Amino acid sequence: MSSRPRGRRQDHPLWFLLPALAVLVIFFFVPTIFNFVYAFTDWSSFKSGIGFVGFDNFVSLFTSGTLVNALRVTLVYAVLVAVFQNVFGIALALLLEKDTRLNRAARVAFFVPVIMSALAVGYIFQALLKPEGALNEILGFVTGTEVSIAWLGDTTWTIVVVAIVHSWKWMGLSMLIYLAGLKTISADVLEAGRLDGASWWQTFRHIRMPLLAPAITFNVATALLGSMNGFDIVQATTEGGPGGATELLNIFIFRTFGQGLFAQATTMSLVLFLMVTILAFPVIRFLRKREDVL
Amino acid sequence: MKKTLIGFAAVAAAAALVLTGCSDPTTGGGGSAPADWPAQDAKLDGVELTIWAAQNSNKVPESVIKGFEKLTGAKVDVETIPDPYEQGVQTKVATGDKPDLAFWQPTGSQLTALNAATNLQSLDGAPWLDATSEDLRDITGFLDDTRYAALITTPAVEGVYYNKKVFADAGVTDLPTDWDSFIELGRELKAGGVTPFYEMAADRWSTQWWIHVQLADAAADGLWDRVNANEEKFTDPTILSTIETYKGLIDEGLFNEDIKTATFEDQGDALLAGDAAMVVQVNSFFGQLQAKASAEELDEKIGFFPIAPSGNIGTFIPDQSNALVAFKTGDATKEAAARQLLSYWLGDGYPDFVEAQNTVSLQDGVETPDTVPSALLAVSDSLGSAVGSMQVHAIANPDLYIFLADMIQGTKTPLEVAEATQEHFAELAKAQGAEAF
Repeated sequence: MSSRPRGRRQDHPLWFLLPALAVLVIFFFVPTIFNFVYAFTDWSSFKSGIGFVGFDNFVSLFTSGTLVNALRVTLVYAVLVAVFQNVFGIALALLLEKDTRLNRAARVAFFVPVIMSALAVGYIFQALLKPEGALNEILGFVTGTEVSIAWLGDTTWTIVVVAIVHSWKWMGLSMLIYLAGLKTISADVLEAGRLDGASWWQTFRHIRMPLLAPAITFNVATALLGSMNGFDIVQATTEGGPGGATELLNIFIFRTFGQGLFAQATTMSLVLFLMVTILAFPVIRFLRKREDVL
Repeated sequence: MKKTLIGFAAVAAAAALVLTGCSDPTTGGGGSAPADWPAQDAKLDGVELTIWAAQNSNKVPESVIKGFEKLTGAKVDVETIPDPYEQGVQTKVATGDKPDLAFWQPTGSQLTALNAATNLQSLDGAPWLDATSEDLRDITGFLDDTRYAALITTPAVEGVYYNKKVFADAGVTDLPTDWDSFIELGRELKAGGVTPFYEMAADRWSTQWWIHVQLADAAADGLWDRVNANEEKFTDPTILSTIETYKGLIDEGLFNEDIKTATFEDQGDALLAGDAAMVVQVNSFFGQLQAKASAEELDEKIGFFPIAPSGNIGTFIPDQSNALVAFKTGDATKEAAARQLLSYWLGDGYPDFVEAQNTVSLQDGVETPDTVPSALLAVSDSLGSAVGSMQVHAIANPDLYIFLADMIQGTKTPLEVAEATQEHFAELAKAQGAEAF
């Protein structure tokens, strides 16, 4: 610090930060604080006054089974998305690793869904997966029998189908990050492995996977925590159905808010916020630990 | 020093915002005395009015607006609020954004949802009321004895739409006259190899009609008053038994096989094609049929009869496209202009409106066009004796239809449906400040 010329500090007085700070406070801090404050009130569309009610909202939410069910569904969904998105992403990255012209074109193709509107993706898949939709027609054509599987109508398996749709949309991003990770691995290390007679699988398992740790940290954390905030794709494909089997917390929040129960909706979003936070720290810690080998 | 200053400023700013922000922006309004009603043709040059409408109602006011703009010099904008309309409007109003007029479901539960006493103009003593048919004048649009909504078209009625050809082929000549004969007819049709009833559990919302129509007699007997006072619950025998009956009919195989995945569109197609004999639905279902078939074909194929346990009684449920509410915006000129537009709509502009919409007239002095399909006439004929649905009489509108769809998907039992509905109802009622909750 002392080596820095004094005048430099005065060129950029601290109060220059004020505009940015104001934006940060108004658009990030205050809404977050409100999220905490309103959860303890009876704010609704039905009356003008807002009164504090203590932990009333939390008690009624946790005694009704709906919130717990939505939390469970959200967690299952997030784990499924994290698994599928990373498996698809790493498979694509390995497949398209070489910089050929064809691979470059294919990478672009797989990245296109990432920049598509999630709602549009959802509605397209909803049409494809209908009992009389294109997927069943294709299956019917191949097998020669009439297929009418309700892909989005099963109370057990639909959540897997929707998680795959979500992963399909985002796998291009995971692929890109894994590709970048693969590129940073020194060719010398791989060559040394090959000279020692390591097979493709051994190279992958013992050299490339460990060296990909930072990319895995990023991909798993963003997929897991991002999909806990999932809404659009599920809303477009199933609206939380069938029978509440895919009712993510955000869908529940959306419905509750729309019914004018603003305080309850805020309470739920606070619960979601806490759940993401509680999950984020151990997950990221665990994944960072894997990077210690580097 | 500077750092502490900034820190202090940030905390102070945040605290100030929290404190000032912690009151509902929709507070205000006040005075609710019925205002004067300007003449329909009073000059309004330079006045701009905004009407909020849903995707299925934004074309409704066209003829009226044209006439009104020409007559008064006002400018009227229709702003479409995306679906789900009710949620969008409620959210906007809650954050202080209001139009001059909006399409709105004129039921107690939905007027409560808009906080009518604070946000809406009273329409008591409106000039069009004398011209309105007596049967329909006071059917809906009230909250706490104040009129907040102006009915522009006949409210929807829950009842049975049937395929005339399927009935004729099965040798059915007399329509059912009560619930038992209705179910009996279903069983006869089933024995003859016809799918009697068609339901759409994938789109969910029509599931509740089967409960409402079974409750018509109880509703006339004050069921919903007792539910509102928390003296009777959804889990009590009156309502629970109707859910069990519905489940029983589904288990008996009286509904379409693809009930779990069928949609609103599938339902219309099935009835038109004669794949199913009957559908319990509301007017918007007929709108769907009109988009798929010509008026002659519909007159020939589709009929309507109301049903309730004790006889042919309809259950009415006005929706957002049936009525308008006028907001208190704080601008006296615009508020008066909004009332003037309503007077014109239901006054000199009404004959054109009924003609343009090809709909049933609410006023004895204005004739219904003879091109209105016969099924719709049957619907409006049933209105005179119809009973209000849950949405009309209950103070809150719980997610009964979602829970019923869950039951059809197999994730809830009838008792669980009743419990979840009661819980949701209590939560909404409590938020409204209902005394018993």
